[in-house]
Amino acid sequence: MDTNWREGKMIEEKLDCRGLACPNPVLKAKEVIDRGGVGRLEVLVDNPAAKENVGRFLSRMGYEVGFSEEGGVFKVTGAKGESALSEVVEESISPGPDSRIVVLVGTDRMGKGDDVLGQKLVMNFIGTLKEMEPELWRLIFLNGGVKLTVEGSECLPALQALEKEGIRILVCGTCLNHFGLFEKKLVGETTNMLDIVIAMQIADKVISIM
Amino acid sequence: MEILESLPLEQDPNLLVGRETSDDAGVYRLSKDVALVQTIDFITPVVNDPYDFGRIAAANSLSDVYAMGGRPVTAMNVVCFPVKSMDKAVLKEILRGGLEKIHEAGAVLVGGHSVDDPEIKYGLSVTGVVSPDRVLTNAGVKQADALILTKPLGTGVLATAIKAGLISADARMRATETMATLNKKAAEIMSGYPVNACTDVTGFGLLGHTLEMAVASGAAITLFVEKIPILPEVLDAVEMGLVPAGSFSNRNFCAGQIRQTKPIDPILLDILADAQTSGGLLISLPERHASALLDDLKAGGVSDAAIVGRATNENKGIIELE
Repeated sequence: MDTNWREGKMIEEKLDCRGLACPNPVLKAKEVIDRGGVGRLEVLVDNPAAKENVGRFLSRMGYEVGFSEEGGVFKVTGAKGESALSEVVEESISPGPDSRIVVLVGTDRMGKGDDVLGQKLVMNFIGTLKEMEPELWRLIFLNGGVKLTVEGSECLPALQALEKEGIRILVCGTCLNHFGLFEKKLVGETTNMLDIVIAMQIADKVISIM
Repeated sequence: MEILESLPLEQDPNLLVGRETSDDAGVYRLSKDVALVQTIDFITPVVNDPYDFGRIAAANSLSDVYAMGGRPVTAMNVVCFPVKSMDKAVLKEILRGGLEKIHEAGAVLVGGHSVDDPEIKYGLSVTGVVSPDRVLTNAGVKQADALILTKPLGTGVLATAIKAGLISADARMRATETMATLNKKAAEIMSGYPVNACTDVTGFGLLGHTLEMAVASGAAITLFVEKIPILPEVLDAVEMGLVPAGSFSNRNFCAGQIRQTKPIDPILLDILADAQTSGGLLISLPERHASALLDDLKAGGVSDAAIVGRATNENKGIIELE
């Protein structure tokens, strides 16, 4: 994407959009994000409509959004990448900090012995994952696991339902590319090893289906 | 609105529709057969092209007469324009657009008034006529009525998207044409049916105007959220955070009087609350006539018309979203 990210450093930006008429706060945020490499953006606005609009926009752009208010001034924070997980995790609208479960799926079947049975099992597993809510925090797909997130996968409805509940689904970009499936991903966000390693570090429990 | 309410009400028996029911226009009986319809509306620009803005603002002002079941007869321009700092050719284009719509409505331009102002505003004061026994107000919704909406929603959000430059040319043109369309055809077709109530959907959004009708009529109205026609690119624009502050206020204002039978996508809720410019007619008529009216509307070129709700008598004054 851009040099900042390749060096492993994401920039942080702050915007003061108080006094700006709609749609300017969203436009200013867009200007900053279009420049690329922004890991964390804080926007100050002075009315609830702008707060909701900026929050929606940042969320649409793939940021994890948090809100805070002080004396009539709203602060909308969007974060992604390294800084996201470490700083915004407390503000984000996810399960309580006490128990975050990461499920790592490294293949498109469960267990060994019969592959057809294995595929049925993994589909069932994903369909039952909602029972782990509200502690279920991230679903990560690697290697053959990425096949479960693309067009034609029978796990799609269950995965999309989990995503709607607010559980973030991370799909390894390198793996998608390897299988030539990059364009076919229909659920979750493309991620990289750094996001994956940090998710494992912050998680309270990591369950792997390898 | 509150200030208007603080003024003492009129007692004249010939005043058929006054300020009490927050209706679209005032209606005053002149004789057994004729009542006068009077309305005024003006707006700030919603599109960049002055001629289109003129057409839209005029259509917006004329709409209130149609919403009362009336026919526009005369109109006067209401203009705010920075004469010293802006080329008068811009104003000429706005007025050209306005005149085109006045004539299309079968009315005549009889004058106007302008004020020097750094911000452009344009609209019309319109006088129309209606037969005293055919006046359509907000307050006639009956149980088992069906509700028909004649234009798609989303013009408020799209006006913001236009300002932000975040809309395709196609979507912008479609929105412009929708706003510039008079409610004349819809009103003419509706006059052949036993309509109980009518309003036009403008500044308070579909939610706000439906609520007005429900409260004025003492009815409860259910809106079929999935059936409501929406302009292209509106869903995207709402997701991008391009919701105008006015629409946001509408949603908050109505929040206490809305019930959802199942969780409704907040994006759709924003569209229902989106303040419209020159919106369609919201027509309430007995359910058994609804499909015939719908067919006639579509055949008459009102192609976006759809049945969007029904009225009941339970939980009066509440809107249910289904």
